Amino acid sequence: MAVSSDPKNSSKSESPYFYHVEPIGETGDRAEKFLKAFAAILQNSNYRFIVELFSITSAKCGRCSASCQVYQASGEPRDIPCHRTHLLLDVYRQYFTPGGQFLTRILEGESLSEDKIDDMAECFYRCLACRRCTLECPMGLDHGLITHLGRYILSEAGIAPKGLVVSVREQLEGASGNTSAIPLPALLDNLEFLQDELRDTKGIEVKFPVDQQDAEYIFYPAVSDYLMEADTLMGNAAVLHATGTTWTIGSQYFDGINYGLFYNDWVLERIIEKLVGEAHRLNARKVLVGECGHAARTARQFIPAFAGDKSLPVVSVLDLTNKAIKEGKLKLNPNTITERVTYHDPCNIARSGWLLDPPRQILKSFVKDFVELTPHGKANYCCGGGSGLVSLDETYEFRMKISGKSKAEQLRACGAQIVATPCANCKKQLRELVDFYKLPMQVVGVHDLVLRAMEF
Amino acid sequence: MPTWLLLAKGPAFYFILVVFVVGLLRLVVLTVWDIAAAIRRAGDQRLPYGQVVRQTLSWIFPFHKLHRLRGFYSYASYGFHIAFLLTALFLRNHLDILRDDIGFSWWAISKPILDVLTLASIVGAAILLFTRLYRADSRHLSRLSDYLLLILLLNIFVSGYVAGRAWNPIPYDGLMLFHTLNGMGLLLVSPFSKVAHCVLYPLIRLGSEVSWHLSPRGGRDVIETLHGLEGRKI
Repeated sequence: MAVSSDPKNSSKSESPYFYHVEPIGETGDRAEKFLKAFAAILQNSNYRFIVELFSITSAKCGRCSASCQVYQASGEPRDIPCHRTHLLLDVYRQYFTPGGQFLTRILEGESLSEDKIDDMAECFYRCLACRRCTLECPMGLDHGLITHLGRYILSEAGIAPKGLVVSVREQLEGASGNTSAIPLPALLDNLEFLQDELRDTKGIEVKFPVDQQDAEYIFYPAVSDYLMEADTLMGNAAVLHATGTTWTIGSQYFDGINYGLFYNDWVLERIIEKLVGEAHRLNARKVLVGECGHAARTARQFIPAFAGDKSLPVVSVLDLTNKAIKEGKLKLNPNTITERVTYHDPCNIARSGWLLDPPRQILKSFVKDFVELTPHGKANYCCGGGSGLVSLDETYEFRMKISGKSKAEQLRACGAQIVATPCANCKKQLRELVDFYKLPMQVVGVHDLVLRAMEF
Repeated sequence: MPTWLLLAKGPAFYFILVVFVVGLLRLVVLTVWDIAAAIRRAGDQRLPYGQVVRQTLSWIFPFHKLHRLRGFYSYASYGFHIAFLLTALFLRNHLDILRDDIGFSWWAISKPILDVLTLASIVGAAILLFTRLYRADSRHLSRLSDYLLLILLLNIFVSGYVAGRAWNPIPYDGLMLFHTLNGMGLLLVSPFSKVAHCVLYPLIRLGSEVSWHLSPRGGRDVIETLHGLEGRKI
């Protein structure tokens, strides 16, 4: 089962790529726009030296190919991490180093062609940016960083996935101010529903506070959780209720999602500014991030980077819950979950080794039959929908047959009936894999299970 | 004095040695300078230095991880690196020339051990070359320079090894001239090729980490550079 090498065959859109493109900015010569964008980014960022360093030291040993789940499934050379990285490094060498410029001139080398740009536009989005290859590169090249940079340059040259751009436009410039376009009245209705649901099913009065001043935490889940992950949110709220801490949701900004990580640093910074701004409006002391891999990573990594002296501490809801369990604040019935449970590590919180133990400790505290995936932890396979791909419906075939293939095989081999994962994107991709490969398991959030086991 | 020895002790070698040392030193200084500048520009200047050092060291002594992927190739590559360094830096003949050229040297490893190491280098380099030619993914990644570099290394090791054998059928001085010229070639290309990882390796993981520490307003400055103060819509 291989998706065609020809992107035109794998997409029904008019886009030349396997994702729909939202044109950005004025039309014009794409090569010129690409080089201008590349030059502007090198001039105004911290990327220049690393591109230079990678271009000198890359050994092209090919070891990364054995760790890349996309290449392992597709077998296409364009999916080798080092190949992808060199697409960009070659442009850098040719246009931004004196030696490259000189050689290009005397050897009358090719200029940047439309085909090369198309290659990059395709390859950088076939990469899951999971950074698994980085763990196995003897030299230490971070191919995920180059994918990040490549997508950034492409987006400033006018090439970015429509699904991401449209969501971000709504988040930063739209009326709703969030990626799922949920109007505030709908959010308030939804919160009321969740409160009623908790009362009816668990018999507890849990409030989802909105615009509460001076709370310890301002809560940012992936906003799509409000539409699709009621159990996760109720689990989060039940834990916060049990710990007795103060928390709030901001009415003017309540979205943890930051697609800037997937394609543009300018967008990344603007979203962080909104998030921090709302926290300060409500005078919250800490940012609490819900079950979302990239939201947790962007908040933790980029609030200190962009917010300066307005920076706030960032806490993952997984850390908070784990701490509450250790302090004896949560009563979890060990007989509630009788099925075999496994845990999927989202790349954005596990690859760096950040949140490896807390979710496991949470689950093991009340799950009787817990099994690990092989491999797991830092070396875990990506769900196959990483780097924003899962938000692009047109990439479904690629995500099922290629990028998610290793994950599906891994899930089948573990024999679990429940897969828990604290990430909205991973959950969507894993559910689609479960359907596609007919795997006998259900996919839930960690707090979905916590809620089921909680006793009040 | 044979030509190869004249060459090894002559001005051409001095010149190449200067290019080698200054070239590599320049790369280290510039990279350290750039990393320091990037840290100064970063909004969050806290770096996980301990983690970076641990990761860097773990690939200098990667015994617990080489088997994970492409084990045969990985062990061959690692063995080649170790054998190459020991042979190049601790051979009595090299050290004698070095002492004559620059006035000092260090202790040498005994010849029987170095003979084994030289053979290991030859086998390691041959496996690397074979893998580049044989495996589709490696072949796809390889450029002409990758092959030439391995051939250069094989030339050095094979000629050096054969020259010292009693059964050597090739005139000794001619073979040593070939060995010396290839060795000088390797020194000359080192600062301009991936051989530079011999000095830049400790900085690569640190550099990757620093690059993720973005500078505040970096994105806005890019937009202003490209579109002026009015910027652009999302």
